[in-house]
Amino acid sequence: MRRARLDNRQWVAKLAAGIVPGCALALGVMAVVGGLCHTTGSPMTLSAQLLLWLAGLLWAVILSACFLFRSGSRAWGVLGGGAVAFWLLFALLKSVFP
Amino acid sequence: MKIRSDIVAVYREVHSWAGILAGLFLFIAFYAGAISMFEQPIQAWLTPPAGLPAPVPLDRTPELMEKTFAAFPEARAHYTVVLAPDATQAGRLIWPKGGGGHGHGPAVSVAAALAPDGGVVTMTQAPSEAAHFIDELHQKIGLPLPHDVAMPIMGVVALVYAVALVSGVIAFLPALTRTLFAVRLEGGKARAWLDLHNLFGFFSLPFHIVMAVTSVVFAFHEQIFAVQGHLFHQDRVQHVARMARGPEAGTPHAVAPLAPVELVAALARQAPGFVPDTLDYAMRPMGPGSRKLTLRVAGHDARFGLRGPVSGFAGLDPYTGRVISADYLPGRQSNGFATVTAFFSLHFGSYGGAPVRFGYLVLGFGGAFLFYTGNRLWIMARRRSERRTGIVTDTRGTWILSRLTLGCTTGCMIGVAVVLAVAALSSGALSYAVLSWVYYAVFLACVLGAFCLTARLGAPVLLLGTAAANLVLAMVAMGHAAHGLDISGGVALTALLVAGCVAVPGVRGMTGGRTAHAAD
Repeated sequence: MRRARLDNRQWVAKLAAGIVPGCALALGVMAVVGGLCHTTGSPMTLSAQLLLWLAGLLWAVILSACFLFRSGSRAWGVLGGGAVAFWLLFALLKSVFP
Repeated sequence: MKIRSDIVAVYREVHSWAGILAGLFLFIAFYAGAISMFEQPIQAWLTPPAGLPAPVPLDRTPELMEKTFAAFPEARAHYTVVLAPDATQAGRLIWPKGGGGHGHGPAVSVAAALAPDGGVVTMTQAPSEAAHFIDELHQKIGLPLPHDVAMPIMGVVALVYAVALVSGVIAFLPALTRTLFAVRLEGGKARAWLDLHNLFGFFSLPFHIVMAVTSVVFAFHEQIFAVQGHLFHQDRVQHVARMARGPEAGTPHAVAPLAPVELVAALARQAPGFVPDTLDYAMRPMGPGSRKLTLRVAGHDARFGLRGPVSGFAGLDPYTGRVISADYLPGRQSNGFATVTAFFSLHFGSYGGAPVRFGYLVLGFGGAFLFYTGNRLWIMARRRSERRTGIVTDTRGTWILSRLTLGCTTGCMIGVAVVLAVAALSSGALSYAVLSWVYYAVFLACVLGAFCLTARLGAPVLLLGTAAANLVLAMVAMGHAAHGLDISGGVALTALLVAGCVAVPGVRGMTGGRTAHAAD
């Protein structure tokens, strides 16, 4: 099957997906990793600082990559779905290890 | 390297729009940032001498402290022992005037010294704000807004900058092997600018990646930490609880803290090679653990990266001299903290000493030039496509952008030169507000000039104006040599180089314009 050529026609939707669900996804990954390593979230601790850099770097990468989605709705679907999945996982972690 | 051509086309478009959105902000951030590599020496150079008696030897500091605290009990709450007093920190003992320092920029402080007869002499000192103003200009990407408003905007620009970097690399990679070292000066103006842009961009790419990522984190750290605070259990933090109990709660300690000489000796035993600069004491005024003295030592060590722009830090027990926090102490950090510190020191250039700082000065100016070439390319590409459709004059968008590029870049360069020259010429230390007015008046005048002058006249006039401002700065700097010949020479040499770089196209534009007129 021949793949459709990529273009920037839906750049607004793709960029918006990178900004809104992209940010939620980056923070969701941060939340899950933080929950797994039992961070306290105090800015003075190493774990909190490493999580800060993780979130910042991830968001920048997502924003750079969001133009690669085939369409705007796909970008919203993947990034939004990822964000929901990670936040659900975090809620699960919270309920298992309160 | 093979990348699908449609992906390259997508990212080429993303690159040009991201670049044009962030370019002028980044020009100012990089130009001011390059100069702020030497913020502390410039600040000391511009601060008028305090006229205090020579600082007491370090071993007589307890006597100075005892006499000062008897006369100024409020100084006990927060004071600093300066191990190498200079123009900015003139006394052996200083404390912020009016109690708490706000932590941003040089605070007005009181410096104390002992007169020959043994009496305490104090002097209120306001360090020059010029170097700090340029640093703030760098952090706020040239926006005249309060710090907490400018920071999120800076973060957005940093994100756009990151996208521009990634997209630029993707757009450039396929042509990399063919054109990397080829600067085709003869193949037309646009080609030469493009090759210069690619050359500068490629060879400073690691520097730019570090700057983009660190700037995003610097801008949004408060918000992200706030999210973390909501998500995780802040109350279980060990050392927040420890801080609340006080440094050595429960264990009885000696009545008096150790003398600075003994503290320095104790630190030298525990962290050999770390050169302490200041001992910062603070007394918690209330709450649990109050009336306990805490001590933070700021210092440097050329063998390691530093957490701050010029300092690493150690938390010491002031009563025993034991290091109780080595999280930011160069050479004594855990691997994790050393990794985080590496990001900070790569942004600040606070590793490797003076050679790295000079390298960052060059990279900063080079970065500013990179963004300028990017804007030039954008304007030329738009003109080319407009001419192709038969439009003879620039469309409104092209015209506005070309005028803004000219006005903002020259405005920033002239403004910085004027701020430094004015600060060097004034007899007292100028306040932040005054310097701010001077800078933004010059900046605005240049932008207005770029819009009001004719296209033929605008560029040569503003470029030669930049050259003239920097020549004046060079002369003023040499006239200020009594305050430090090395920094005077450095400022003058840098100003001359900047003047030379902008004078060449300025003169060319002037004579080119004249021959064009003659041809008419």
